[in-house]
Amino acid sequence: MIGLIILAIFITLIVLAIAIIQNDDLPHSVVLFMGFGLGSVILYFLFSAPDVALTEAVIGTGVSGVVFLVTLLQIRSKEIKK
Amino acid sequence: MRRFSIRSIFISLIVSVMIVLLLQIFLQFDLVTSSAGSTVLNINANSTHSANAVTSVVTYFRGFDTLGEVTILFLSIFGISLGLDGYRDKFNIFAYENSLLKIAVDTLFPLIVLFGVYVIVHGHLSPGGGFQGGVIIASAFLLMFLAKSNDFSLKHNILELAESLSGAGFILLGVLSILILNRFLGNFLPLGEVGKLFSGGVIPLIYIFVSIKVSAEITSLVEYFIRIKDVK
Repeated sequence: MIGLIILAIFITLIVLAIAIIQNDDLPHSVVLFMGFGLGSVILYFLFSAPDVALTEAVIGTGVSGVVFLVTLLQIRSKEIKK
Repeated sequence: MRRFSIRSIFISLIVSVMIVLLLQIFLQFDLVTSSAGSTVLNINANSTHSANAVTSVVTYFRGFDTLGEVTILFLSIFGISLGLDGYRDKFNIFAYENSLLKIAVDTLFPLIVLFGVYVIVHGHLSPGGGFQGGVIIASAFLLMFLAKSNDFSLKHNILELAESLSGAGFILLGVLSILILNRFLGNFLPLGEVGKLFSGGVIPLIYIFVSIKVSAEITSLVEYFIRIKDVK
């Protein structure tokens, strides 16, 4: 059962990674990246590495996604002004 | 023919000498294929009295590496502050005001900070520790930035003071250990019982210093990114 869950998460992560690269809409891609981080959090936890899972949840899903989104917003606002 | 300046020749000479030295250091190590995990777990159970083996590896067996990581984080934040310093103390990029978020954040902010402090203080007992808890506290400040656009501002003096004092405290622990035990970042405090809050000797102190440093740095990073120069 747990093997099936791990396999499903692996396939989801591969699909998400391809979707992140192939997406033309950059904010959409950032949200997918945060979803990728969530999947890898579950994977780290199932492989009994809760410390790494906590770090990935805080850094990969929280802070880096926000930094990406804010950078995109700043670039957009400068493009609109020009 | 293009003339080379003495300085560039000197720099390239130094870099090549360093690369040769680095290659010699790398080639001296053999590739160890046997697992070190069980040995580390045995040493941890006998010597450090901390329930979380990962924490004792990070702060005790490899404390010097943690000092290097904290330095790398400090240098990267320093570079960002050099690049984005002109954008400081300007308007928040999130100019709209969400009243629901604005009311809810007053309740959520102390809860998130409390959870971060819990993760830090229980770093030697349960998963988590200084780095994770520090980033959780920084995410509470991020929520404040998102909710209260221009009403909320940080006092940079306190932030810089906390960051530099915690970094100095980390190194001071190492120097104290040199004076007492004759090795850097050793354990000179009494070990308690395994599983109690006050146990593990010097490990919780190191993690508290790391957490203050990390939370101050990530908070200033988020602030540098979220403030924009001129939006009106």
